[in-house]
Amino acid sequence: MNFDWTSEHDAFRERVRDFLAAELPPDWEHESRLDNSSRYVYEFARTFCPRLAAAGLMVPHWPTAVGGGGLDAYHHWILNEEMWAAGEPRAYQYMNVNWIGPTILQYGTPGQIERHVGRIARGEAFWCQGFSEPNAGSDLAALRTRAVPSGNGWRINGSKIWTSGASFADTCFLLARTGDGKREITAFLLPMNTPGVEVRVVPGIMGQRSFHEVFLTDVDVDEGTVLGGVGQGWKVVGTVLHFERVGAPRYALSQRALMRAMEILRERGRFDDPVVRARAVRCRAAGEAARYNSLSVIDQRAKGRPPSAVTNLVRYSQVIGDRLVSEFLGEFLGDVLVANDEPLIAAAYKRTASSGIAGGSAEILLNAVTRDYLNLPRE
Amino acid sequence: MSMDFDLNADQAALESGIRSLTERYRGLPTPHEAGHFLSGEAIARELREAGYYDVARQEGMGPLESVLLVEAVAALPYAVEAAGSVLIAPLVSRDALPGPVAVCSDAGAAIRFLAEGGTLLVDAGHEVRIVDLAGVVPEPVDTPFAYPYARLPAAKHKGELFDLDPRKLRQYWQLGLAAEITGAMQAALDLTLEYVKQRKQFGRAIGSFQAVQHRLAESAMQVHSARMLTRAAAMSGSPLDCAMAASYAQEASMQVVYNTHQFHGAMGLTLEYPLHYWTQRLRALQGEAGGASAIAQGAAGLL
Repeated sequence: MNFDWTSEHDAFRERVRDFLAAELPPDWEHESRLDNSSRYVYEFARTFCPRLAAAGLMVPHWPTAVGGGGLDAYHHWILNEEMWAAGEPRAYQYMNVNWIGPTILQYGTPGQIERHVGRIARGEAFWCQGFSEPNAGSDLAALRTRAVPSGNGWRINGSKIWTSGASFADTCFLLARTGDGKREITAFLLPMNTPGVEVRVVPGIMGQRSFHEVFLTDVDVDEGTVLGGVGQGWKVVGTVLHFERVGAPRYALSQRALMRAMEILRERGRFDDPVVRARAVRCRAAGEAARYNSLSVIDQRAKGRPPSAVTNLVRYSQVIGDRLVSEFLGEFLGDVLVANDEPLIAAAYKRTASSGIAGGSAEILLNAVTRDYLNLPRE
Repeated sequence: MSMDFDLNADQAALESGIRSLTERYRGLPTPHEAGHFLSGEAIARELREAGYYDVARQEGMGPLESVLLVEAVAALPYAVEAAGSVLIAPLVSRDALPGPVAVCSDAGAAIRFLAEGGTLLVDAGHEVRIVDLAGVVPEPVDTPFAYPYARLPAAKHKGELFDLDPRKLRQYWQLGLAAEITGAMQAALDLTLEYVKQRKQFGRAIGSFQAVQHRLAESAMQVHSARMLTRAAAMSGSPLDCAMAASYAQEASMQVVYNTHQFHGAMGLTLEYPLHYWTQRLRALQGEAGGASAIAQGAAGLL
């Protein structure tokens, strides 16, 4: 057992930091507001991601045969920690790296891999995730968007909601019903410029373009958009969720904000308050727990082991770590949050609002822990 | 060496060695005489004789292996002194100290594991004092907590000055607490998980109710996290990490104690049923070394 980074891992982190220092503009934090859903960050990512790819930092952990650097899964995590802490300058391209690419590599046809994976590896692809619907959130399998055979392909009708980054996406990883059984669902790789796809922004408290509605009206797609076979969508979702739930290292931003918060509190003389001091360490401990827990999942991936039941428990620890930081900021730096002039603190506070909801609500995570980790009887 | 969350071969062998040695102590003794605690003296003696208490002094082993031992032993229903002998004694002596090894910050208080023939280390704030308990008979304290507690005769309170940084003693005390709490929490949780699968009310296992399930899942996350922080602290040897592990574990234990008792109902309040052997230990450890808030506050300067 060993929780220390190797010198190779340390050097890789330095490489990522150097790259960020060289590529992010000096006014990055104020311009971007560390809001990866904003138009500013999207426009930035359009040039940033290809440069990241050119530097070998887009998919360093993918096999060399598909454009990666052949490095271990820890490199992926280091990259994610640094990017997330910097406000995610890849915009939503982090999803491509975390789960869209790997899922296509696992279930895709050679043609799909050819079409999508290279673009992801080169930092050229913008995706969105068409899962949630107005009546299918936590109960994802209740989704009603339907695809029916039509000509040589499928005709899709329905709507999606809460779709992050849909304003800017060129492709949607879409789930649609292809049968009446609860889990008769199919995954489609839908080009967003297909006639019949309409996107509307839903204003939210987190970020400029965090939420959208996507309306699908008589959207015709060819057979080549089906991923993993007709009716296999639920199986595909299992892979997606494992990668997504331990995907973004949320603690990286919230812990950075905690450190900044302590700096401000020190300047104000408030850090002499024993209550503040105890609560700060409590936040740090929860963040460290989330970090080590996450790394234990990465260790499994680095060793090529299949996803295990611990993923949901680990994700839940990330949720709680973020929640404590959010409460700390709210209690001790309320004025800074109201003034809205510290981008790091403001962004971390906004982000933590979604930690227990994105990628499956915390209560759904607890259901999964109960069922798969504690093996308790079903309700 | 690369990051690795699996135990190495030596660590796995250590764990299975402890497991097989303590196998017959996993259940309750027969006949089981209801009492506030089960003495672990015999287990400590066996572990000591088999060389397990010297684990930290062995080539290639150290605090991590000690923590594995403390955690495993804390999962037994018996109150076994391990943290003092395994984690703290090596700070004081290259040779094993006479056990049990007790630690406290107030020599006048009721002290856990204080016993004739053993050793007491006192965190006296700016210095460390040591008391050799050879020929000293402490006065047992009648307490509902599931550890043996005793008081030191007043003449012995002062002890002798020992050349050790009190911060170092505090750090390893905290690390030992974190490991001991983690082991006891895991055992209390495991017992509760079995219970809620068996116990039926309203015609179904109470473990099938979501109100019960979510709280157990939260507790499982906390136990898992406490273990990670404890192992991380043992490996890094950082005072901040040790404080975070102890503080986190102490705070988590409150929730685990509450939940495991709630789901056992009145059954958990009886001395016949073993839950209290762990939860009354957790209650005792909750405030030790200052408790979660004081430990956290004391470490804030290290952030």
